[in-house]
Amino acid sequence: MFVDNSGRRSKVLRRIGLLMGTVCLGYAFVLGMAFMGWGISINPSSLLPFGGGQAGSAPGGGYAPDGGRGGVAPSGVPTGAPTDIPSGAPTGAAPSSSATAH
Amino acid sequence: MQRAAGKAAALQRPRVILALLLLLGLTCVMLLDGYLRAEVGGDQRVRDGASASKVPDKVLNGGPILTFRNGSPVTQTIPKKTIVLTFDDGPNPTYTPTVLKILKKYDVPGTFFLVGSMVSRYPSIVKQMVEEGNEVGIHTFTHVDLSYQSDARITREMQQTQLALAGAAGITTTLFRAPYSSETDAIDNYSYPVYKKLGADGYTSVFVDTDSDDWKQPGVAKIIKWATPSGTSGSSVLFHDAGGVRSQTMKALPTYIEKMKAKGYTFTTVSGAIAKNTSAERASGTGAGAGAGAAAGTSTGTVEAGAQPSAAPSAAPGGTNAGTGNGQTPVDSAVGGAGTAGGGTGGAGGNGSGNRQTAILQGAHREATGMTLYEGKALIYAVTVAEWVVPGLAAGLTVVGVAVMSRFGMMLILARRHYRQRNKRRFSWGPTVTRPVTVIVPAYNEKECIANTLESLAKSTHPIEVIVVDDGSSDGTSEIAREAARSFGMTNVRVIRQENAGKPAALNNGVRSASYDIVVMMDGDTVFEPDTVRQLVQPFADPEVGAVAGNAKVGNRNTVIGAWQHIEYVMGFNLDRRMYDLLRCMPTIPGAIGAFRREAVLQVGGMSEDTLAEDTDITIAMHREGWRVVYQEHARAWTEAPASLKQLWSQRYRWSYGTMQALWKHRKSLTDKGPSGRFGRVGMPLVVIFQIITPVFAPLIDVFTVYSMIFVDFWASLAMWFAVLGIQLLCAAYAFRLDREKYRYLLMMPLQQLAYRQMMYLVLIHSSITALTGGRLRWQKLKRTGEVGTPAGAS
Repeated sequence: MFVDNSGRRSKVLRRIGLLMGTVCLGYAFVLGMAFMGWGISINPSSLLPFGGGQAGSAPGGGYAPDGGRGGVAPSGVPTGAPTDIPSGAPTGAAPSSSATAH
Repeated sequence: MQRAAGKAAALQRPRVILALLLLLGLTCVMLLDGYLRAEVGGDQRVRDGASASKVPDKVLNGGPILTFRNGSPVTQTIPKKTIVLTFDDGPNPTYTPTVLKILKKYDVPGTFFLVGSMVSRYPSIVKQMVEEGNEVGIHTFTHVDLSYQSDARITREMQQTQLALAGAAGITTTLFRAPYSSETDAIDNYSYPVYKKLGADGYTSVFVDTDSDDWKQPGVAKIIKWATPSGTSGSSVLFHDAGGVRSQTMKALPTYIEKMKAKGYTFTTVSGAIAKNTSAERASGTGAGAGAGAAAGTSTGTVEAGAQPSAAPSAAPGGTNAGTGNGQTPVDSAVGGAGTAGGGTGGAGGNGSGNRQTAILQGAHREATGMTLYEGKALIYAVTVAEWVVPGLAAGLTVVGVAVMSRFGMMLILARRHYRQRNKRRFSWGPTVTRPVTVIVPAYNEKECIANTLESLAKSTHPIEVIVVDDGSSDGTSEIAREAARSFGMTNVRVIRQENAGKPAALNNGVRSASYDIVVMMDGDTVFEPDTVRQLVQPFADPEVGAVAGNAKVGNRNTVIGAWQHIEYVMGFNLDRRMYDLLRCMPTIPGAIGAFRREAVLQVGGMSEDTLAEDTDITIAMHREGWRVVYQEHARAWTEAPASLKQLWSQRYRWSYGTMQALWKHRKSLTDKGPSGRFGRVGMPLVVIFQIITPVFAPLIDVFTVYSMIFVDFWASLAMWFAVLGIQLLCAAYAFRLDREKYRYLLMMPLQQLAYRQMMYLVLIHSSITALTGGRLRWQKLKRTGEVGTPAGAS
């Protein structure tokens, strides 16, 4: 019973086993990556052109040649991206939220 | 020979690696599942009543939209007569689609703060949600109170949720709402740093102005009342579309929307509200109104000018890249370039006004690209796999549970009935069998045991003829046998030598040479009690009985492995045989002790070499010929059980493989008529359930116990495991009582349950794989010590 002298079944099964092993390994790998967040960078600040990273680097928008609109722009920019402030915006013009936290 | 051994070793190694990889995969699946159900790393703590002394007042009293710029908090309120519908804790397969249907019906957008684990489990709902123009935000991956978590955990929670969103809907988002948060005045010293950190990462934290408190299920009217802001003030309104029974919310929502629309309110998303603030700002020229982005100014202008289609959409809601309106070339290019890289969702949306509207409403969305997208999709697939595998395993566990319990039930009922029936004073098989019988002892290299065996036969109280069939032994077994027979004064012993041809051939040789019509078969390493043969042959008084199974007992039971097997023999085999006897479908007569009608053996063609379990094979064959096979509990044989794990493994490997072969060989009985069909339809399923399916799924008991001990409830799970053990112990104790065995061996039972189950499982898998690959499996001779004698203490 069950004996296969040609060895074909064994070969097929070995391939299936190899496939299954690879799948398991890949599964563990994907989960590890997803859990630890390896290989990705999805903080909004790193996605946005005007994100917190740049905004944080220089008060008032590092790349703005217009010195008139310093980081004093007071208003709440929801994406945390404050850099390009129309020069007309007066400091403290937005009463609701302009006070600094520190 | 050497080459074959090397080949076998080479075959083993990938098998072991594969097994380990499968185990790794299983562990991952279960860990993932536990994590998704917040059973792994789940943290139920919720902070309450902490001081807010370090939180700036303007945050506590500010609007519900909180961002940070250069470390300073900035808040925005919702414009007047505007409602931002926010739904927390989703997606939920029951309620979220209903919410989406309602929103679509009234053409109202919502903002959904999604729990990442739920996103990964129900990605299609999220996809639909985003396609229908709703905005989504992050509500962490596992709905934990972030104020208790480390920075690393917070980052992971956010990133995992972003991945899930990327996989489900192809986007990431910049909106965030903390679990257990509500209005801004509830921010405390512990949660504030979390918002600050996330703000620095670029997230916008969204709070609540008006809480419907729908989770309290206060009734539709109250939900509507509580969700209605006072006067004409704008509001971020909190509903829940998951996390419990939300049918009241579903009922309240349409009425609420109608009511607010009647009051002149408009509905928007968080980004929509921000954009509204921005344009109001621009219109009034001051920041007075909502206190919102003074930066807003020119963003809309940019969009309208169409100068920077790629950057525009992301600019629109935030109004942040306003500077482009100033026409400063370096800024333009910088923003444009980065905007493309960032891939704003509305990237393509700058064209039509409808699309632009959507782009504004979904301003917080960013299109996921590259690694993030692929990893997100991989995560979704991984979760899908886990969502199928774990319930599958749970179903397997149910199968085991039912099988084990029904086995216990059958055992208790049938074994008891069998015991009562056969031990009744008036019970008899018929006229006492007194005629002499033939005892066949196949022996292959049994020099340690054969003398003991013959000595025990010499004391038989029943007239016997002994035929020792020496199967080409190389250790002088036949000489030792002859010598022993002479020394015990036995004149009824014949020793037949044959070329080594295997046990079935030896048995057939013995049957052919037998002088009497009843043949008793035993192993060369087995010892009979004086009464054994007499007891064993009594059932032949009934002319229907074609074969009798005796009661094999483990002689070397003083080692751990011996004790395990002792328990197994008493509880498993012997109780099983009582049950099978009454059901008339005994699958195996043990090779150690069985008796056959010679004519019946010859009728089925003798012992066959088709399978490695010739005892199972011939028993099934006899059933199919219509012979009855019974179990005689009083005929005891003492056998030497494998003494090492390796030997036990190879013995069970052979049994398991042989049983499969025998079942396969007799598969046609399933459709036969008469006694053969009866065995096929009653016996075969029982054997398959108890000897194949149960051992395959049994380790799930331990797997799930370990899983739930670690991730759910340590003591409760442990208690469950011990409850199962207790039931088994009880049954074992009953089995011991029926067999009049000493209870002290039951002390080994907990360990036996742990180790044995896994081993039998591995053996079964091993033999299944051998069967599938079509590899050859040879008889493996067990190493014997000859220590088993007639038991002094046996009662």
